[in-house]
Amino acid sequence: MPKRTMTLNLTDAEMGALERLSVRKDLTKTAVIRQALRLYQTVDSRIEKGEKLLFENDATKEKAELMLL
Amino acid sequence: MTRSVSHIYLLEVATGVGVEAELRDCIEEAQLIDWQTKWQPILIAAIKDLSRRGVARAQWPQSWHWDWRAKIAQMEGLIAFKGFSVICADVTQGLMRVDLNGLGRAPGQEGKPLVYVDYLEVAPWNRMDMGQTPRYKGVGTALLSAAVALSVEEDFRGRIGLHSLPQADRFYRDRCNMIDLGPDSGVQGLRYFEMTPEQARIFLKEEDEV
Repeated sequence: MPKRTMTLNLTDAEMGALERLSVRKDLTKTAVIRQALRLYQTVDSRIEKGEKLLFENDATKEKAELMLL
Repeated sequence: MTRSVSHIYLLEVATGVGVEAELRDCIEEAQLIDWQTKWQPILIAAIKDLSRRGVARAQWPQSWHWDWRAKIAQMEGLIAFKGFSVICADVTQGLMRVDLNGLGRAPGQEGKPLVYVDYLEVAPWNRMDMGQTPRYKGVGTALLSAAVALSVEEDFRGRIGLHSLPQADRFYRDRCNMIDLGPDSGVQGLRYFEMTPEQARIFLKEEDEV
């Protein structure tokens, strides 16, 4: 699949977060950004359809809704 | 959207000869028409026959109710989902939908990204569980190889995961050497299988040699 290139300007904190995710997820930084975009689009699409994004604590079964603004 | 076509070989069981087929990284209208007009009548006839003979539902082809048109409509415009198809003799021989938002569960792979195989189905005339000799062998393996290759391309190092229908458990465990992580109560009790980067490397090497 042909790919296009862009420059991404990040703060030190954002770059730090990207680097830590890159290590934890065993991904290149580019792959982390692409993965984040896929996930964001998936979540946004479902919220657009009226669904909610919930996190559940496996131990306590407590649920929290994540609001995307 | 650019479509990619790879040339692969399937084994034509009747002749024992390898025949050329296409592996496409898309599912288009022509494939859905094949599913509707060629797969569905055979599957429906088989289900009617099994029902008439009183065969237990657990032994029916377990993907018979899958609606590929709906499954493709659900992923419209979403970059996390991709479809694949195998075409031979101008007829769709297998279909697969994958989700790139999956995360690993196997020991040492927890939380790492993988290609999750949402649905994989081969045409009814290629299925062993339809009580007949399959027409072509290698369709399921070709689709699974495409999932592994996509995982490598996406920097996921070949990791893939899937929930298997009971009739396919042996294929994923024995033929594909995936790790069986047992029944998943969150997904109708289906067994969850995963392929690690090391297993993926061996799987692709073996497929290259076939």
